[in-house]
Amino acid sequence: MSTAAHRRFDLRGLVLPLVLLALAEAAMRISHTESDTLARPSDVARALWEALRDGTVLVASAQTLGAALGGLALGGGLGLLAGLWFGLSTRAERWSLLSVELLRPVPSVALIPIAMLVYGFGFRMEIAVVAFTCFWPMMLLTQAALRQVEPRLFEVARVLGLGITERVSKIVLPAAAPRVFVAFRLGVGIALVVAVTVEIAANPQGLGFGLMSAQQNLRPDLMFALLLWVGALGWALSAGLLLIERHLFRHTRAQGGNP
Amino acid sequence: MVAQPRANLTVVQPVNVQPVTAAPLIVFDRVVLDFGPLRIINELSFTMKRGEFVCVIGPSGCGKTTLLRLLTGLVKPTGGEVRHNGSPVNGPAHDVAIVFQDYAKALLPWRTVAGNVSLALEAAKVPKAERADRIHALLAKVGLAAHAHKYPGQLSGGMQQRLQIARCLAQEPAVLLMDEPFGALDAMTRQTLQDEMLQLVAGSGTTVLFITHDLEEAIYLGDTVLALRAGPGERSSLAQRFDVHLPRPRDQLSTREEPEFLHLRRLAFEHVKDTR
Repeated sequence: MSTAAHRRFDLRGLVLPLVLLALAEAAMRISHTESDTLARPSDVARALWEALRDGTVLVASAQTLGAALGGLALGGGLGLLAGLWFGLSTRAERWSLLSVELLRPVPSVALIPIAMLVYGFGFRMEIAVVAFTCFWPMMLLTQAALRQVEPRLFEVARVLGLGITERVSKIVLPAAAPRVFVAFRLGVGIALVVAVTVEIAANPQGLGFGLMSAQQNLRPDLMFALLLWVGALGWALSAGLLLIERHLFRHTRAQGGNP
Repeated sequence: MVAQPRANLTVVQPVNVQPVTAAPLIVFDRVVLDFGPLRIINELSFTMKRGEFVCVIGPSGCGKTTLLRLLTGLVKPTGGEVRHNGSPVNGPAHDVAIVFQDYAKALLPWRTVAGNVSLALEAAKVPKAERADRIHALLAKVGLAAHAHKYPGQLSGGMQQRLQIARCLAQEPAVLLMDEPFGALDAMTRQTLQDEMLQLVAGSGTTVLFITHDLEEAIYLGDTVLALRAGPGERSSLAQRFDVHLPRPRDQLSTREEPEFLHLRRLAFEHVKDTR
C-alpha cells in the first residue's frame, strides 16, 4: 500500500481533467454546440454555483445523505450485531447459513416496489432499501473480521485466565475493530449509491430525483452539475473516513507491518 | 548416560526466595500424547523441583512445544498424567505463565506497553488502584519503564519480548514456560535477554521450563537439560538428560569457557548427531 501517495495530494493528477475540460469548453465554443444532452463546462460550473446559492442542492444533499446514513445505521447496525453473533457462535452460523445464502443475492433495487408498497414515497422506503443492502456486507465482513483474530491472542487470553465476557470485550472486539471499520467505510459508499439509485428509480426527493428532473427539464448543465456534486460528496465522505481510520488504528497498522 | 559432574566444580544453587525443596513441583508421569494416529510423545517421565531451571532440546517435531501446552492444560495427554503441585493439570492455572516465541502476535497491538501488562492484572482481578504501581514496577524490572506509553508496534523485537516477559511476571507465576523465547532475536539481544531473564527468575525463585533448539543456550541457562527424540515409536521420548553443574550467576564469557560447559556442549552435540 502506497500510504505516502494516499496522504499527499498529488497536484499532477489535476492536469489531465483540467486539460480535457478546457478542450471541451474550447471545442463547444468553436462549434457553437446547442445541445439537450451536453453542456459547456462553464455552464455546468454556473449551474452548480446557482444550485448551491439557492440552496436546492444542499437540501437535496441533506435528504440523500440522511436516507443513506439512516439506512446504514439501521442495516449496518443490525448487520454488525448479526455478524458478531454468527462470528462468535459456530452453531448460530450453521443455523443461519442457508437463509443468508438465499436472501443475500436478492438485488436491493428489486426491493423498491415492495418498499414503495409498504411505506409509500419518502424517507422510510429509501431507508428500508438502503438498510437491506448494507446489512449483508456488514454482517459478512464482521463475521470474517472475527475469524481473522490472531489465534495466539486466544491462547494468551486462556493462559491469563480471562473469562468469556472479558475475552470478547478485551481481545476479540478490539482485535476485529479495524476490519469492522473498513466494512463500515465500504458500507457508507454502498449506502450513498443505493440511496441515489432509489431516488432516480422511484423516490421523489434528494440528489437522484434532482438528476432525473434536470434531465426531464432538458437542463444538461444542471444534470452534469449534480453529477459532479454527487461524485465530490462520495469522494469527501470516503476520504474523511479513511483519515479517521488511519487515526484510530494507527498502532494496529504499525504492528501489522511486523513479521 | 548422565553427564557426571566434575569433582572440582562446586555446585552453587540459585539464590531463591523459596528453598529448593525435595517434593517435586511438576511431575510428568509416563505421559503419552497422540495426534490422530501419530505418537508425538511416548512414556515421558521427569520431575521439576521448585526453583529449578529445566531446558528442553530436540529436533523439530519432537513435541517440545506440545510439552509446554500439556503444562498449561491447553492440550490433554492421551495417557499418563501431568501433575502440578501434586494435582493433575486440568486447565490454565493462574500461576503458570507462558512466554511465546512470536511476541508480535502475542501482544495486543491496540494497547500501550503499560496496557499490555495491565491485561494480566485485570485477568487476576487486581483492583484498579493498585495496577499503576505494579505496572510501573514490572516495567522497571524489564527495563521498559521509559516506554510505558508506547505501543508494541513502536518497539524493537527485543523490547517486545521483554514486554511479554513483564506481562507473564505480572501473573506472579510459580512456573514460567518459555517457548523458544529468544529464537527470533539477534545474537546480541539474545545474550542480554538471557542474562536479564536469569536474574529475574533467580530473584523470584520461579521454576522455569525453557524450550530451545540452541544447545549452547540450553546448557548456559539450565540446571538440567532434557533431550527429546522425534518419532519415539516404542521408546521413551526422553532420549537423554544432562545435569548442568555450572556455577551461578553465569557469565556469557567465563561460563562458556568452563571445561564443564565445553564438555556438556560436546555431549549434547554428539547426542544430536547420533539421533539425526
